[in-house]
Amino acid sequence: MAELRAILLGPDRVVWESMRQRLDNPSRRAEDVASVLAEAVRLRSDIKLRRALQPLLEEALQLSVQSNPRMLADALFPIFGKAIRKAIKSELDGMLQSLSQTLEQSFSWRSVQWRWESFSTRKPYAEIVVLRSLLYRVEQVFLIHRQSGLLLQHVTAASTETKDPEMVSSMLAAIQDFVRDSVTGTEGENLETVRMGDIEMVLAYGPDAILAGFVRGVAPRKLSRVFQDTLDSIERKKAEALHTFSGDTSRFDSCRPQLQACLLGQGKPDRRKSASWGARALVFGLPVLLLAALAGWWIYSAAVQRRFDDFARRVEREPGIVLTHTEKRGSKFYIAGLRDPLAADPASLLPADLSRNSVEFHWEDYHSLVPRFAAQRRLEELKDQLEKRAFRFMTGSSEIPPEQRFLLEDVGSQMILLIQAATGLGQSIQIQVRGNHDPVGAEQFNAALARSRAENVRAALVALGVPAARLSAVPEDLEKETCSAVKEEERLFCRSASFRVTEPRP
Amino acid sequence: MLKKKICMVGQFGVGKTSLVRRFVDSIFDERYLTTIGVKIDRKDVTVGSASVTLMLWDLAGEDDLAQLKVSHLRGASGYILVADGCRAASLAKAVELQKRIAGQLGPLPFVLVVNKADLRDRWEVQGKAIAETGWPTFETSAKAGTGVEEMFLALAGKLIG
Repeated sequence: MAELRAILLGPDRVVWESMRQRLDNPSRRAEDVASVLAEAVRLRSDIKLRRALQPLLEEALQLSVQSNPRMLADALFPIFGKAIRKAIKSELDGMLQSLSQTLEQSFSWRSVQWRWESFSTRKPYAEIVVLRSLLYRVEQVFLIHRQSGLLLQHVTAASTETKDPEMVSSMLAAIQDFVRDSVTGTEGENLETVRMGDIEMVLAYGPDAILAGFVRGVAPRKLSRVFQDTLDSIERKKAEALHTFSGDTSRFDSCRPQLQACLLGQGKPDRRKSASWGARALVFGLPVLLLAALAGWWIYSAAVQRRFDDFARRVEREPGIVLTHTEKRGSKFYIAGLRDPLAADPASLLPADLSRNSVEFHWEDYHSLVPRFAAQRRLEELKDQLEKRAFRFMTGSSEIPPEQRFLLEDVGSQMILLIQAATGLGQSIQIQVRGNHDPVGAEQFNAALARSRAENVRAALVALGVPAARLSAVPEDLEKETCSAVKEEERLFCRSASFRVTEPRP
Repeated sequence: MLKKKICMVGQFGVGKTSLVRRFVDSIFDERYLTTIGVKIDRKDVTVGSASVTLMLWDLAGEDDLAQLKVSHLRGASGYILVADGCRAASLAKAVELQKRIAGQLGPLPFVLVVNKADLRDRWEVQGKAIAETGWPTFETSAKAGTGVEEMFLALAGKLIG
């Protein structure tokens, strides 16, 4: 039986024995499993295996970190190091951006405007800065095939001017290559921002596509995140289309809503545009106007001041005027000093372009020692003295009474002095001898009597040497009224011959 | 809408830019070529019933000093090798460039253009040498305009075919 079994099952028994030994030997079993483990895991790639492995892996990782953290750190550094550097750089960029904005805003005209707005609206200054400084608008968004630079989709905000987006897209890719080749030379590095004047380009990169946005104004940092998230989403949804892209852009039409969602903005662009006109007018126009007005006022004031100074100098040169003080009081000029009554009226010296109302005069009278004024005063004095003299007549008589004759020489001397003084001043005076009468008697008789009295006195004075050409005899009835009103004893004064020096002819 | 990127490559001075200028009205200044090494133009063409937008990347010519940047060719649907009929060396350069491009980017549709057909009597490039390449070849004259449009349309047809 044993022999029969050996004959029938001999070869199989050798195999079974071998299998038994393999199963009984743990190290052999381990070798067997190890040889098929990778293939087995690949075949069993469902969730059950992952779940089964998860606690083991977690525990293994934990043990590894506890025993030798450096090993894991070294292993992860190439991945995390780059990501961390990028994150830190992004944060620092954000900080620098806000710092530069703060600095710019601290010393600019805009900051003055915002401080005023903060003051008038009672809002904190920081809030106003945030409200006003982050005004921006995404005007165009380009979805670009990364490898070819071909434009996959392009959306624009309303009322945005666009140039050939296909060309922009390709040029952007070319510039990327150019910058990479000439500056960094590293494949993984990308152009991150492009700024030209008021326009900034926000760029997000995926493995197969680039999302680029033209932003007018100051793009906030969050915009980069929005672009990156949008691109990541498109890359996920259109992974197949992007991998196999061969020029058919219609496969990306469905991305347009997502791209349009990137046309973000803060504030109303149109309002901002019109406000910017208003702001420009306010910011630039008003100060310019104020400066112009100020300059105009300054020039006008300087011109008026110069005219006044010229006038004051002219007044000062005038004989008989001494200036003691000049100053500007508000819109008027004040001028004070001493003035001889015989001096010219300063107001008459005002130039045509200096209004009389703009100058206030304050003069104290004084007698100037200028010879011309002294001579003039002497002349006036002689004139007054002469005009106080008179000859009295008896009733009905035109003869100079004997007791009055002694006056003739005195009056004659006065007249000669007066004429000489006037001649010395270049004046040619005339002296009238005026004959008067009292109201008693016939009018015709009285008139003849008055004329006769004047002529008699004139003749007597001419006889004493007074130039006849300067003396004239005239009857005068002007005092008739006065004489008729006085009492009898006073009428004597009406029967007289008096003198009047007529206005000198220049 | 189909869009295709096509690159113009060849030795310096073979007439690549003149060929493009014959084909499109450029909006970018040609100084781009010397600054960033590429000038891009766009041309909408109709091949059969299909409308195709060709984005023409005119790459700065290669010479002793400047090397062609193959990175510019990435994503291209095809390319045009341009040689100057009057310079035998330019054909040799075209052959060299083709090998380099194929080596880096794999097989891509392309055509060989032998330019300056208006100076045929002065050609150094022999018909035999051209035939030896075995490539689809066009003889063009950027100066006279002959063969230019046909060449571009033929390549476009090849790309969408």
